[in-house]
Amino acid sequence: MDSCVRILKSGAYKISTASNGQQGLDLVNEFKPDLVYVDLKMPGISGIEVIEKIRNTDATIVVIVITGYATVSSAVEAMKNGAYDFLPKPFTPDEFRLITQRGLDKRRLILETIQLRREKEMLREQFAAIVSHELKAPLGAVQQNLYVLVSELTNQLNEDQKSRFERMQTNIGDLIKLILTWLRVLSVDINKIKENFKPTDISTVISKAIESVQPHAMRKDLEIISRISAPLPPVNGDEGTLVETVVNILANAIKYSRPKNEIILKADETESKIVIAISDSGIGISQEDLPFIFNDFFTGKDGQKIEKSSGLGLAITRRIVEAHNGSISVESELGKGSTFLIRLPIIKP
Amino acid sequence: MDTKRKLIIIDDDPDYVAGIKSVLETANYSVDVAYNPKDGFKALQSKHYDLLLLDIMMGRGAEGVALARKIRKDAKLRELPVLIITGLREQIAFLFPGQPVHPHFVETDELLEKPVEPKLLLEKVSSLLKLAEAKRS
Repeated sequence: MDSCVRILKSGAYKISTASNGQQGLDLVNEFKPDLVYVDLKMPGISGIEVIEKIRNTDATIVVIVITGYATVSSAVEAMKNGAYDFLPKPFTPDEFRLITQRGLDKRRLILETIQLRREKEMLREQFAAIVSHELKAPLGAVQQNLYVLVSELTNQLNEDQKSRFERMQTNIGDLIKLILTWLRVLSVDINKIKENFKPTDISTVISKAIESVQPHAMRKDLEIISRISAPLPPVNGDEGTLVETVVNILANAIKYSRPKNEIILKADETESKIVIAISDSGIGISQEDLPFIFNDFFTGKDGQKIEKSSGLGLAITRRIVEAHNGSISVESELGKGSTFLIRLPIIKP
Repeated sequence: MDTKRKLIIIDDDPDYVAGIKSVLETANYSVDVAYNPKDGFKALQSKHYDLLLLDIMMGRGAEGVALARKIRKDAKLRELPVLIITGLREQIAFLFPGQPVHPHFVETDELLEKPVEPKLLLEKVSSLLKLAEAKRS
């Protein structure tokens, strides 16, 4: 370790060292490094565990494993656990400097990517404002003038003309509704949702969601079976938007199921998370569509044949789940059905 | 003598205003228009109006709200009936589930949402004018 410090001393680095895993982890929290070297063979907690914990603290920290020849396979294991690279002992000062430089470059890239992603989000919000003003305002004016014209001409219009006016009003009304849905997605104010967070019972969320989609399910003769391993611990969240999330997934399941199918909703507690799994045996999602279905405006080819959609329901859903520090994923087979998994962290006792 | 009631619309969308203005003029009101809050406030100070129809989202944001507050603080204009006409609520209602927007933001007499049904507009205007008259006498 001393030799490593000596090699780097000539460069413009701030260096801090620890002689075992726990000390190292404390140091990571305090020192907030860009890059961490971890020896896999240490007294106390293992190097692999240290890597995992660093990744959990801050996934942007780059970890480089230093290891003896005998443990190359465990270095590979370490990389699977999130280490960026490994350097077998013994190594030359140049090799050490090189891997350090590469590690720091990687760190810079990670941070830049995050920054870019943030900028993209901001652009999205500005886009919402543009859509709102430039698209909605003129349509609103047209809509208002239609109302006025109909009322002014009411005694002069024949039935056919009246019905054409009505169709125009309906069409413009629908268009404005669609724009508002877009705005809803683009401007879901995550911080506003978070202000309402409080301990929330997931079984209540689920039963409210099922209740609200039940009429649609009955219309297609579908049965929604819910299996909740009671009692589930509460999650920190906003009941309203969580219900919306489950409703969105259930509504999709109903939309893409065949009549008389079953939709199964399971909720379990696993590894400090609540997992809600919603399975249908409907048309499924093709492999090429799967990676994109949580994106804004994405609509699958097969889905469109069944019912037109704005391609926003799942995007809204994803954003709500992520605001709850949760995640959403899907497993699906074309023609056989889909399972959506919503994972929400439970409140730590 | 001109006995027409004088109304002013403050809204930044000329196309939208055209529709509303036509309804009100047909119902025999005299209608002035200002296309931004600044001109609107100037007009209110220089001439007497019986009622203000005010849009919320103007310029860079909710400038109509700021204007309404200014009017409520103005000694001369405090009693002026204000009818808010806005498309705002449907856009932000999800942030305040189940709550009407106006009491939170601005003290106003009435609020109508765009698009306004002409008949409803005329009803609101006439009832606000009658209310103001009753208060005065």
